[in-house]
Amino acid sequence: MNDQTKQRAQQDIEPDPVIEAFKRDVDRTLLRENLKLTPQQRLDKLEEMQRFVEELRLGLRKGASHP
Amino acid sequence: MTRFPEMIRALTDAGVEFILIGGVAAAAHGSVRTTEDLDIVYRRTPDNIARLVEALRGLDPYLRGVPPGLPFRWDARTIERGLNFTLTTTLGAIDLLGEVTGGGSYDELIRHCVPAELYGARCECVSLPRLIHLKRCAGRAKDLVALSELEALLEENRKLGEDGQSR
Repeated sequence: MNDQTKQRAQQDIEPDPVIEAFKRDVDRTLLRENLKLTPQQRLDKLEEMQRFVEELRLGLRKGASHP
Repeated sequence: MTRFPEMIRALTDAGVEFILIGGVAAAAHGSVRTTEDLDIVYRRTPDNIARLVEALRGLDPYLRGVPPGLPFRWDARTIERGLNFTLTTTLGAIDLLGEVTGGGSYDELIRHCVPAELYGARCECVSLPRLIHLKRCAGRAKDLVALSELEALLEENRKLGEDGQSR
């Protein structure tokens, strides 16, 4: 990102050094992929992930009850 | 697990005036983080409170995290006497906020919203810059990682020239 873009993005948001430090670890490739989707498609993905996590939790519980 | 589509439809079908905030709003803006509940700011007019009561009436709303059996009546009077409610329902968890730190009431926050077509209905979603502002104002340590992602998202969004979504 060039300096101009960064400056525009932060126009109304004062940079916070702690957040800036965390920001270095953000995987922007995932964000860029999401930005190609519509808001509805993004929520569909969230729902899909929720379902997957729920399945995973159920699986772990089942696994724990049948060692 | 909260069933977001059904929950949002229950609100829109009943004509409730509300604004999506929190993790679902973040996801709609492009966040890759997951969330467990639906957070909304609702308009505190008598008509809208009546619509909100009707929208959730069939979903057995109950205060989240309180001992079972504590008396709780879901009606307009309860909503009018309170402000913010964290509820469980048969569709999952929902937080109803009459006011939000850094954003104020519905009538104040609506100026910082973007319309979104979700599940066949039009919803108001807090803008990404305002969502960042709200999270900063909340001042919670747990939000630091989410904030770093949202601010990176804002940079990426503007870099792509999709500034139209941000007010």
